[in-house]
Amino acid sequence: MKSKFGARWIKVALVATATLGLAAVSLPASYAADNAEFYVVQGLPGKNLEVAVDGKTVAKNVKTAAVAGPFKIKAGSRKVTFSDGGDVLVDRMFSVKAGSSWDAVVHLPASTGDDPVVTVFRNDLATVPKGKASLVVAHTASVPPADIRVDGKVLFENIANGESLKLTVPVGTYEVAIVPTGEKKPVILGPVALTVKGGAVNRVYAVGDPEKKTMNVAVHVLPTGSSGSGKPSKVDTGTGGQATGQGSDLTPLSGELVKLTR
Amino acid sequence: MVLSLLVGCAGPAGQPAIPAPQAKASATASARSEPSAVPTVRQGRPARSQRVEFVPQRITLPGRAGAEVQPAETVDGVLEVPENVQHVGWWDGSAYAGEAFGSTVIAGHVDSATGGVGVFARLLRTKIGDVITVEGDSHRLRYRVTSVQTVAKQALATDSQAFEQTGDHRLVLITCTGTFRRDQGGYSSNLVVVAKPLGLAR
Repeated sequence: MKSKFGARWIKVALVATATLGLAAVSLPASYAADNAEFYVVQGLPGKNLEVAVDGKTVAKNVKTAAVAGPFKIKAGSRKVTFSDGGDVLVDRMFSVKAGSSWDAVVHLPASTGDDPVVTVFRNDLATVPKGKASLVVAHTASVPPADIRVDGKVLFENIANGESLKLTVPVGTYEVAIVPTGEKKPVILGPVALTVKGGAVNRVYAVGDPEKKTMNVAVHVLPTGSSGSGKPSKVDTGTGGQATGQGSDLTPLSGELVKLTR
Repeated sequence: MVLSLLVGCAGPAGQPAIPAPQAKASATASARSEPSAVPTVRQGRPARSQRVEFVPQRITLPGRAGAEVQPAETVDGVLEVPENVQHVGWWDGSAYAGEAFGSTVIAGHVDSATGGVGVFARLLRTKIGDVITVEGDSHRLRYRVTSVQTVAKQALATDSQAFEQTGDHRLVLITCTGTFRRDQGGYSSNLVVVAKPLGLAR
């Protein structure tokens, strides 16, 4: 069934973001150990943003759904300014501790008409188990609280503008759709085929406004490294023989295989 | 230049101040250069429905048989479970308890030559419907047993799905069973107990 907004398929390739074709200007490297870093996630439809930190331009021409950075900043309180064509759209003070990593998302508010919002999310760069990915979905769009359906199941429930949810998932491609909380339609975005990258945190931001047909996703992949050991080929858990005959109803030794109902 | 205007107005002292082409823009920028006048960013926060995922640290079997769970690594293809037969091992490459997908694998000795009968000998009497509790990091998740099977040891990894990390989340408990062959130092088979989560981890 066609949704109100058109259930179009958007192929989202999660490529390491680096600076996506941006004229990024690095701040002086003299800060060393008391640095923090942040990325800019551009969630404003139809804008090409210039980003400044404490008045210094760090990136220009940041397009909708692009991720720019990382920008090294000195720990403490910094002013971040977002402008388009010389007009300051929004500026905010941003306090960061040394060694922290952040995504600063400039996006539409929950209800249209209000000023753009800057929401910051701290990046958790803890290692992810081998063969898995950390998937974080954030709501930074101009829509009411929503459910995020993954492969047809609600895995992220009732998430409001400015909120995010995190899951550990096996590496693979998932069908992701955003729908109003508790509903199956109208589909606000998607389904989107999302391929998550292993050993990384995959941050997905829903941005835009369905009423204006500007819904989109911004994707930010940060490598974290993997933890954990590989699949065992053998489990030896009995060397004494004392437990022989303890089972009251041992299943026959037919080599019968484990069947898992999915 | 627009860029120069922004830098000139908001930048640190000592930078060349370039006259603003529009008085309005200049006034706005000057007002914004007062730090106290600029609001702070909004902190993103987890939604209330954030799923709890945790590393198992304790398991309780039916009949209140309990055991400490320690991380267990695969070394040369063999899952190295704790030597202490009263402890069991969580394969460190398997799912955390409460994840949306994949199996959380916990294996333990049924017995050992030096330690006697192990805590997982209790699994030999486990039945479908039994409830097993996994705890860790102040969280807990209960599971209900859905299958109890014996698998030839060499078929455990290849033909069973015990270690699969796709599909719905489940708990997979493994110990040894079958014929004890003293000359070969072990049992012929593995006992595999599969249990499904009763709701979400808390």
